[in-house]
Amino acid sequence: MTTDMTDIVNTTESPLGQQPPDDTVVSTAPRKRRIPKLGMLVGLIWLIGLTVLTVFADYFPFLRLPGVAVLVDGKKQLSYKLGPGDVAWFGVDNLGRDVFAMCIYYARNSLQIGVSSTLIGIAVGGTLGVVAGYFRGWVDRVVSIIVDCLLALPALVLAIMLISRLDDVKAEYAFLEWMTRKWQIILTLSVLAIAPLARIVRAQTLSLREREFVLAARSVGASNKRIILREIVPNLIPTMVTVAFTSLGILIAAEGALAFLGLGLNESWGSMIEGNRQRLEKAWWATVFPCLMLFLTVFAFNLVGDRLARRFDIREAAV
Amino acid sequence: MNTRATTQASPRDIDGPLIELHDVKTHFRTPRGVVRAVDGVSFSLERGKALGIVGESGSGKTILSRSIMGLLPPKTIREGSIKFESREIGNLSRKQMRHIWGKEMAMIFQDPMTSLNPVMKIGKQIAEPLKIHLGMDSKTAWSTAERLLTDVRIPEPARRLDQYPHELSGGMRQRVMIAIALACGPTVLFADEPTTALDVTVQAQILDVLKDARTERNMSLVLVTHDLGVVAGHTDEIAVMYGGRLVEKAPTRSLFSHMKMPYTEALMQSIPKIEDPSHTRLVAIGGRPPDLVNPPKGCRFAPRCPYAREKCHNEEPPLEEAADSAGHLFRCWYPVGSPEYFEARERLTTVSAGIPVTIGDVS
Repeated sequence: MTTDMTDIVNTTESPLGQQPPDDTVVSTAPRKRRIPKLGMLVGLIWLIGLTVLTVFADYFPFLRLPGVAVLVDGKKQLSYKLGPGDVAWFGVDNLGRDVFAMCIYYARNSLQIGVSSTLIGIAVGGTLGVVAGYFRGWVDRVVSIIVDCLLALPALVLAIMLISRLDDVKAEYAFLEWMTRKWQIILTLSVLAIAPLARIVRAQTLSLREREFVLAARSVGASNKRIILREIVPNLIPTMVTVAFTSLGILIAAEGALAFLGLGLNESWGSMIEGNRQRLEKAWWATVFPCLMLFLTVFAFNLVGDRLARRFDIREAAV
Repeated sequence: MNTRATTQASPRDIDGPLIELHDVKTHFRTPRGVVRAVDGVSFSLERGKALGIVGESGSGKTILSRSIMGLLPPKTIREGSIKFESREIGNLSRKQMRHIWGKEMAMIFQDPMTSLNPVMKIGKQIAEPLKIHLGMDSKTAWSTAERLLTDVRIPEPARRLDQYPHELSGGMRQRVMIAIALACGPTVLFADEPTTALDVTVQAQILDVLKDARTERNMSLVLVTHDLGVVAGHTDEIAVMYGGRLVEKAPTRSLFSHMKMPYTEALMQSIPKIEDPSHTRLVAIGGRPPDLVNPPKGCRFAPRCPYAREKCHNEEPPLEEAADSAGHLFRCWYPVGSPEYFEARERLTTVSAGIPVTIGDVS
């Protein structure tokens, strides 16, 4: 009996010995929590700054109009005459336009396209996922097959195919008049966003529908509609926000890629890169700055998305 | 009392038992075979009475209460008749049952930590059934919710309505669950292990809240638990389940004073007693619960019963009423108190005095 006792004492002593460092960690933790993690902070500052600059671009005195050549002593600064400096911060391009102004103004398109296609993706993909996960059965099977098919196709090939098809479709039907180039890109990219969103939302719904509070709601007579809208969807919001941030980054990069391939808008970071890359040795600024803008924006979305995913403990689906 | 009347279903004068089960079977198809979770249970519950369903894990007590509620996963095999106020409800679809859930029957679940929606305010969750069933507008529902929280003795009810579940303690959340269940004034409340996840001191408070709610509203209560101590003071009748079958059912007093089933006796002995000297070994029931895919041929408890004989292993005893006390049903060939029982007990105490078998002083 006594040996047993000493055994117990010995085993409990060793973790006790490691207690002091643990304590200090615990005591500093609450203070650190106040400030979001550095990556998240940098990402948020970049995104907020960019959004403010873009939205109120017309009111900032230091921003020129993107389509007008920079004038120095009344002369247009054509063919990359100005490098980065006081007059034009990011230099000028072939037509003498201010690269900085273009970078900011073109962010409008990138952000608009990214946000709208993500929203459409959430609306359609989220609905599909919730319905499939909640009702199971044949609905689930049909949705899963569609999602799997979409995921199996290479994204870029699908996008190129869709965009060129949409041109034909628009030419054929008069009621599709509203579908500008921008809308075509938004629709194409939202198709790409649907599949991963539907998949992750379905997985979450599958686990939520077995939770006890759903059973509790059912036991007081709530209808399916009510359970989905009141019990399940609110619990899906963290997931959706997280996936939205990650997919925003990816979709903005995809928009750049389409523009680079000449399938996107002309007023886009992607087409700036494409148009100026031949003259990279002579005027690096016209290519590197839009690249940096694209990179930093996507990076910022990923930093925020990652942080949210860790915060809400969401395992990343194949986006 | 008058203010509360609005939340209550109007009393109906229907004679006869509130709930009547006849040969209820609930089976699940699994890859291993058909699991007979509830296998031929019959009993009835009177209006305003409290019934305790007792049994160890896997005895079918939770599935039995969910069978009555009709809250089972789809594709469950359901047989037998379940009558509620003389109306057959065993074969109703989920859609039809929705009018009964909440309004006539309500349920409280075991774990208050997971039974509340984490992203919805308490007030909204209580107001929900009021709006569904009683068609109240938001304002009335909100004030009724506040009154319900007062009924379940939650301090500062007005403030709680605006809080989220994570801001409340476990006992508090279970009270909120009770308030939600009571919202539409159900005729019968199923409490599925309502105190298992709670602190012992909170357990008593929750049971008192349930008791008061029952007497104030003339509501029936079905208390599902594995703890005989919980049902002792709070029920009129106790049903003991084992291996999907009802093995003993008696008025509470009669069950505790003259238990017939060796299984009930074993359950009683497994309760730690405060007057025992410290370091007394807890008495456990040897063996494990029966496999519900292939239940034993004879009495389902026979493989674990210290008094089992040849007959017990081969023939299943019927559910019979005891000769000496009315309303006391049991399912045993050689019940506690029979000559065979004493003989077997004698034999066991002399042969294996050292091993803590399930033998104790019954008187």
